[in-house]
Amino acid sequence: MTDRWERDVPVYNVPIWTKPFKVLMSLGGIALLLTLYREVVGLGPASGMNDAYAWGIWKTFNVMTLTGLGSGAFAIGISAWLFKQSKLHTVMRIALLTSFLAYLSGLIMIGIDVGRPWNIYWLVTPWNWNPHSPLLEVMFCMPAYAMLPLLLENVPPVLEYFHRNKPGTREFVEKCEKIIIAGYPFIVALAYILPAMHQSSLGALMLLAGDKVNPLWQTPFLPLLYVWAAAYLGVCCVAGTLLFTCLMWKRPYDMDVLVLLNKICAWLVGTWILFRMLDIVISGRLGFAFSADIFAGLFWMEMLFLGVGLYMLIDSAKLRNARLMFHAHVLIGVGGLLYRFNPTTLAFQPKPGAFYFPSAMELLISIGFVSLAIAGFCVAVKLLAILPAPTYTWFQMEAHESKLKALNRDEKVGELVTANNFSD
Amino acid sequence: MELTRREALKKFATGTGAAVATAGLTTIALPGSANAEVEFKEAPKNAVSLLYDATRCIGCKSCVAACAEANNLQPDTSLSGGLHQAPADLNAFTKNIIKLYKPADGRGWSYVKQQCMQCVDPTCVAGCSFFALTKRPEDGVVWWNASKCMGCRYCEISCPFHVPKFQWEGFNPKIVKCEMCKERLAVGKQPACTSVCPVQAVVFGTREQNLAEAKRRIAENPDKYYQNKIYGETDGGGTQNLYLSHVPFEKLGLPDLGTESIPSKYMKWQRKLYSFLVVPTVLYVTMVGVIRGNWKEHKHHMEEEQKKTGLRPQL
Amino acid sequence: MPTDGTLPKAPADITIGESLERSGVSRRDFITLCSAVLATAPMGLALTEKVKTAEQLANTVAKAKKPSVIWLHFQDCTGCSETLLRASRPDLADLILNVISLDYHETLMAASGYQAEKCLKDAMAANLGKYILVCEGSIPTKDSGEYLYLAGQKGIDRLKDVASKSAAIISMGSCASWGGIPSSGPNPTGATGVDQIISDKPVVNLPGCPPNPYNLLGVVLEYVVLGKLPALDQYGRPKFAYDRVIHDHCPRRAHFDAGRFVKQFGDEGHRQGWCLYKMGCKGPGTHARCSTVHFNEMPDCWPIGIGSPCVGCTEKSIAFKVPIFQTIDIHGVTPPDTYPLINARVGSVGTVAAAIAGAVAGGIGTAAWMASQKLPDTPAPEIKDDKKSEGGQ
Repeated sequence: MTDRWERDVPVYNVPIWTKPFKVLMSLGGIALLLTLYREVVGLGPASGMNDAYAWGIWKTFNVMTLTGLGSGAFAIGISAWLFKQSKLHTVMRIALLTSFLAYLSGLIMIGIDVGRPWNIYWLVTPWNWNPHSPLLEVMFCMPAYAMLPLLLENVPPVLEYFHRNKPGTREFVEKCEKIIIAGYPFIVALAYILPAMHQSSLGALMLLAGDKVNPLWQTPFLPLLYVWAAAYLGVCCVAGTLLFTCLMWKRPYDMDVLVLLNKICAWLVGTWILFRMLDIVISGRLGFAFSADIFAGLFWMEMLFLGVGLYMLIDSAKLRNARLMFHAHVLIGVGGLLYRFNPTTLAFQPKPGAFYFPSAMELLISIGFVSLAIAGFCVAVKLLAILPAPTYTWFQMEAHESKLKALNRDEKVGELVTANNFSD
Repeated sequence: MELTRREALKKFATGTGAAVATAGLTTIALPGSANAEVEFKEAPKNAVSLLYDATRCIGCKSCVAACAEANNLQPDTSLSGGLHQAPADLNAFTKNIIKLYKPADGRGWSYVKQQCMQCVDPTCVAGCSFFALTKRPEDGVVWWNASKCMGCRYCEISCPFHVPKFQWEGFNPKIVKCEMCKERLAVGKQPACTSVCPVQAVVFGTREQNLAEAKRRIAENPDKYYQNKIYGETDGGGTQNLYLSHVPFEKLGLPDLGTESIPSKYMKWQRKLYSFLVVPTVLYVTMVGVIRGNWKEHKHHMEEEQKKTGLRPQL
Repeated sequence: MPTDGTLPKAPADITIGESLERSGVSRRDFITLCSAVLATAPMGLALTEKVKTAEQLANTVAKAKKPSVIWLHFQDCTGCSETLLRASRPDLADLILNVISLDYHETLMAASGYQAEKCLKDAMAANLGKYILVCEGSIPTKDSGEYLYLAGQKGIDRLKDVASKSAAIISMGSCASWGGIPSSGPNPTGATGVDQIISDKPVVNLPGCPPNPYNLLGVVLEYVVLGKLPALDQYGRPKFAYDRVIHDHCPRRAHFDAGRFVKQFGDEGHRQGWCLYKMGCKGPGTHARCSTVHFNEMPDCWPIGIGSPCVGCTEKSIAFKVPIFQTIDIHGVTPPDTYPLINARVGSVGTVAAAIAGAVAGGIGTAAWMASQKLPDTPAPEIKDDKKSEGGQ
């Protein structure tokens, strides 16, 4: 069913400890245990990384690729605040939450992936920085982004929770909200400049690899293409999550907002594909797309996913068809993720004879931390007002809560009655 | 509400002012940012160098053994079934190795000695976040500082010669690579490899001396060396360690890098974009201005919603 | 040896064992010969692969029938025959003549003139298609073979005639194998090897100037006992004797590897027995086994052993072409494969890892598909902005 999204409402009628949640938490638990093992024995036994492929999926996938999906706050925020798409304000919170969890998971993976993490403290001494290192920019900018603007922007739902459920904190909450409102434009602008910087720096990382990256991907515009891809990946992640969560928790979805997200995504993807193709053609690299090797295959796979996805985006927006939209977002997501992943691993050939595939432990750790992020999402969405819904859903929630409270009181009275033997 | 030209100009002016302030701050705070392009264009005056002549090398591997001994490295016996030192590649136990290029028909084969090329503009240094890998100004040796390194292995990803290697086992991993036996250099000795080579296939000297010697050898033997070329003279911006060979250098694992170093070739735009953080600051200030403008409208919209529904506005 | 001027005519089917007995060769001496054969042909000789001890070899050989051998000389110095006779313990000549029935040999036979030629014709007739032809010396081919006449016949024609009725041909020495000394520039007689002229019979080349007599003995014994010739390389040389270069088994190899070279004959290095490579030793390019099987059955009795660089007498491209004291290109020798490759092979897929990756990818894909099927496939209606948001429901 469709209805206008006017307000964010917690998912109030579903328990937290569902079966899928338990599965996610156990995967996360396995990952935590394996991480302990990795810290003791070193990176070699715990992963499939080798001297040729010194970066494994922890860095290349969880950080460089998945944080693209976590750029929803970046893309949708810019659309809402800089391009005045005010309809998107109701989906800001879900974008912020997914981004925050994706970044948190990614940052933890960085901490697990580096071999000498005790030296990360040099981050707080700027006079020791190498200002030209793209990795330094990422190491500084990503935590700064996650811990400052992104965290601050995720605080209002928590404050709202306290305000609603713990009346004693109301004064304190209102004071905090005033501070946040005062600093809002500065925080929000920071939330756009910082990801622009580090998402592009993630692309710049592979620039120094030079000819090890296949020519179809290696270009001085790699940073630009990465941040652009982050933008549309963020949009399609949020849109896909919206469709999925509304289905799961039986919320009506606002087709107008989804059509708007489609349009934004389509513009981003369309111009991205155009720019990428122009860059390849003008720099004379088109020939590589027709060589009979796996790299040309990967390139065309990306183009296929994105091209078909783009067509589906436009078509589903016209038809207002939710299923087609979901397909479109999945395809765009896969295509974009593939693009960001390729120059780091699949299209990265350090020298002939070198090969890499993550080990089982490496995969489990990677999956586990993603699961933890998803589990965190499930909890947050049930406790805090994140998911968009029509206003009447809020009133339904309040009605549900008062019914529960009444039941509780009755039960408590019932217990009192039986305890004091007032039965007869 | 639209952005009037006056307002836009005002914001831009604020942005530029802030940018200048930021530029000043970054010059003080961040090392090297005063130069928009911090590149090493030339080798230092007393740059140390190895000259390796593949036509002289007999593959005796004395240099491999001497290097392991001088650097206290445990011998890697992987290719010999545990019998003697026979590494398969440079790795955490091997800073120097002799490899063999042997084509299928057995003709035109050559040995090659692999170790750090001590590049004039090292890619590993350009990428290292905290300058754990740095180039010494006095002799150009690229060396690794354990107290700065966080083990991110960016140097491994970026080095075009695949030199830095990581210790994959254990919880205190190091980056291992040739540092020209700098402890021996400090007491006036030669690096271990050059001091044991029985046929003078690898010799130690300053880069100028070795370049002159290499040119002399080419002049005296016009058809002996591949393309009469000294590899490392200009390759990848120049390397301090130089190579002569009778077979194509690519066959020996020495890639064709052009004359520009990788950092200067690939990081040009990044460096320009971020120099003094001007561009990011201007963008930031502009965005703050625009958001402030839109915030008023948003606040108005929120207040209306509150009036309609009676519920607290959601930030 | 009989002294009446004729060769004893052994019956065609007498065995070697019987022949040895008749000649008074003791079994002990014969076993000594067989142990020498075993030691000198460890690989490549099918005969020696089948037996483990000299006694076994002796028994096997003793049962074989003596083949008829016709030995022809062409443009030769007879050194190759001489090499056969340079043995003392036991008397190899004796034994060879008992292992084979040497029916025609111009140097060794007592007959001459018409009697000698009659021996040849009779031997050819009696062993038609069964005798082994051993050729010594090169065959002149220039001016239609005018430069050699034997018994009134051109050498080339004699060769063709005798070869056509033989079972196999052994070219003994470099001259018969590829032309030898007579063929060195300007080769005025057009001297060539036998296999350039005869192509319809199996030819075994035993180059060397002269070759080691055990090379011939190995080939003959293999043929006599097993009925076939040993494995040959692309130049028709038996692999058991010619598949390696002198350099690979040279006793002075350690000096080569350590860089200890003789710089001048008679210098300190020469007295110490150092490597003769810089004096022009052709060992690295010469296929022969002189470095392990020395001559005259005396240890170190071979060129390098006595301090003289190898001249490469078995090799057509070296002997009598490359000056004796000119160093050859050492890069002709390929290094062993025990060096690491330029690009090491690294990384692999674990089965469990592949399974996990596949399961996750498949799981996510299936979940996404199933979810999408639950989403409505119909166009969503327009949202009517009635006052639903006011108040509760």
